[in-house]
Amino acid sequence: MRGEKRAQPTRREVMGAAALVAGRLAKAAPAPRQGESAFFTPEEFALVDELTEMIIPADEHSPGARAAQVAAYIDRRLAEALEAQPKEIWREGLRRVDDAAHTLHGGPFLKLTPEQRTEVLTRFSLRDPFFPELKARTANAYYTSRIGIHQEMEYKGNVYLEQFVGTDVGKADR
Amino acid sequence: MDIREADLTKTYDAVVVGSGAAGGMAAYVLAMHGMQVLLLEAGRKLNIEQELRSMQWPYDHPRRGEMPPDYHALGAREYRIRRPPYAAGSPYPHVESYVQGWNGADYSKNIVVDEKDHPYSGTNYAWVRARCLGGKTNIWGRLALRLSDYDFKAASRDGFGENWPISYADIAPYYDKVDLLLGISGVKENLDYLPDSIFQRPIRLNYAEVKLRESLARSGRVLTPYRAGVTTDGVKNKYRSHCFGRGACNRHVGGCDIHAAFDSPTGLIYPAADTGRLSLRTNATVYEVLADKDTGRARGVAFLDTETRRTYEVKAKAVLLAASTLESARLMLLSKSRQHPNGIGNSSGHVGHNFCEHIMGPSVTGIVKELVGKPHTLDDGRPGGFYLARFRNLKERHPNFIRGYGFEGSSGSAMIPSNTMSTPGFGAEYKKKVREYSGAFIHMGGFGEVLARYENYVDLDPQLKDQWGIPVLRFHYQFGDNEKKMAADMADTARQMFEEAGFEVVHVSRQLLTEGWSIHEMGTARMGSDPKKSVLNQFQQAHDVKNLLVVDGSSHVNASCQNPTWTIMALCWRSCDHLADQMKKGEI
Repeated sequence: MRGEKRAQPTRREVMGAAALVAGRLAKAAPAPRQGESAFFTPEEFALVDELTEMIIPADEHSPGARAAQVAAYIDRRLAEALEAQPKEIWREGLRRVDDAAHTLHGGPFLKLTPEQRTEVLTRFSLRDPFFPELKARTANAYYTSRIGIHQEMEYKGNVYLEQFVGTDVGKADR
Repeated sequence: MDIREADLTKTYDAVVVGSGAAGGMAAYVLAMHGMQVLLLEAGRKLNIEQELRSMQWPYDHPRRGEMPPDYHALGAREYRIRRPPYAAGSPYPHVESYVQGWNGADYSKNIVVDEKDHPYSGTNYAWVRARCLGGKTNIWGRLALRLSDYDFKAASRDGFGENWPISYADIAPYYDKVDLLLGISGVKENLDYLPDSIFQRPIRLNYAEVKLRESLARSGRVLTPYRAGVTTDGVKNKYRSHCFGRGACNRHVGGCDIHAAFDSPTGLIYPAADTGRLSLRTNATVYEVLADKDTGRARGVAFLDTETRRTYEVKAKAVLLAASTLESARLMLLSKSRQHPNGIGNSSGHVGHNFCEHIMGPSVTGIVKELVGKPHTLDDGRPGGFYLARFRNLKERHPNFIRGYGFEGSSGSAMIPSNTMSTPGFGAEYKKKVREYSGAFIHMGGFGEVLARYENYVDLDPQLKDQWGIPVLRFHYQFGDNEKKMAADMADTARQMFEEAGFEVVHVSRQLLTEGWSIHEMGTARMGSDPKKSVLNQFQQAHDVKNLLVVDGSSHVNASCQNPTWTIMALCWRSCDHLADQMKKGEI
């Protein structure tokens, strides 16, 4: 079951400097899409947009999570969630991403260089229980998107076919 | 189509309770015999095409096919850790069974019941129910297999349990009739333990599946294209199209909005209605089979309108229960009278007992190395992939367990890749790996016979009631030693077969899923020739009550390892032919 694959935090890190982090983020973030996010703050939205694009980036084959508007989809789903738990997991998880950025490079995630960001997310992915949740929602949103299905996976189905694709067995091989 | 409304003032020739595979077939056969039939369905009549929307793209759905936020699907862990009723105390207004955790669940949320309205108690059991016209046939897995005398006469072969009161020769003509009426896709293999049907155009196998078929053939094992209860060439039925390999069959939970896959409404109920002899009432939950005070015979049923909660009675010359294995048993146990103090048809005490199904869980996943990085093929438009027929306890005896198991599986590309979480890391390399490997997997999972044992049973909970005040079932049902040993062998042989085919095994699951997972429950009112040890005769008539028939899976004497739907329909047809004959002769 998809829901069960999502890891849940086993501990909650004390984030005394949360307000301060948020304040710094506000300055660092690219212009937030005003009025678009339903759950994330503009700062959080910018961070999710960057993190999801880092997980599934644009490459020579197809556009990535940003073009597929993965952050906006995750935002909508979290906004309507009935229970507080997934919202808390995301809010605290994102805070821990910035916390890790501060610990390693002394600044908020979005202020770091691309190399520094990759280093932070790599470390984060290996030890933080929020990462599987971040990755699961990113992959789910991306691979069910128009870009994910048609451009990235080059899916050819969901069309009317006269004959199945494949090999007839029966008379031929018996 | 002219489905008549129920006329509660008249005496019907037959009232049929439930509208799934069994109820639809009973209504069809009896109406074709010229009988006046009333079909009662506990759930609603849905606009099923609008529910299923088989070709809707995920991105055109606001939640990519998932359910609204006020719905919760029970997860595998909840079934293990908690005890039923599973929805008790849930913060979600709607709680549904595990099948609603699969992708595409929003399309079946109105087909599957809300656990809050339909609680049950006792031992852990993942009970999947559909209350609507057509029942579970609207979303069934479509694997349509025959049983053989290895199953019907299994007790003679290994000494366990009882033989069926019929042999393959008795039911074979009815399997043929079902094949021709409804359509089935497959390849003839000439196996005495898995008899062929009258097949239409088969599903094709892809590269990896052919490779596995050839590898298995060396050890005499048979992998055959999925025998799907799907019409690939078309049948004479204006409500159904033939299969166009579109792809929504790969969406869990399935469903087919052009009705190439068999479903009871378009396959059976609408054609029955076209005779002008079928009446239908939906939202009609039967809570008692009424017995005549003097003769003890069934005189009709009492039902409750689920919307108004008003109760009604309707009279019939014969009553046919087809409410599903567990609901039919519940109804018999609820129908207590002076004549039938233990419930109607239950003088043997076997109603609710000998409850059986299929174990699930053991499975294997492999990578087909030569497919990595190859262009994606179109594999998910098929109604299924392959079926690997039983090979245990046919000629030789396995030292650890009796009976057998088969595997269902498939390989190739799908709309949504399955390896997004099993692929490690993130970034450009991750994205490339998901793309290159997603079409290179092959997977299969086993279905094995659960022995029909008297001590596995359901009864009525003395306190707990459903939303309409009707006592609910209490489960006393657990897998035993034979099932556990069989599961271990399933996992071991699954791995071995993949390795021998040259696949790189990446995952083997050895754990049994919670009881009930197969949705193949059977046996709670079994047939037999001895009225002390069985509930029904070979024509599914209650030994105690000649004009009461139980035509669903509850009549099955053992579970075999083959999926039961085709057998349910063949048996029901045979019994209804017999009933019509008896009624014409005035014997009922």
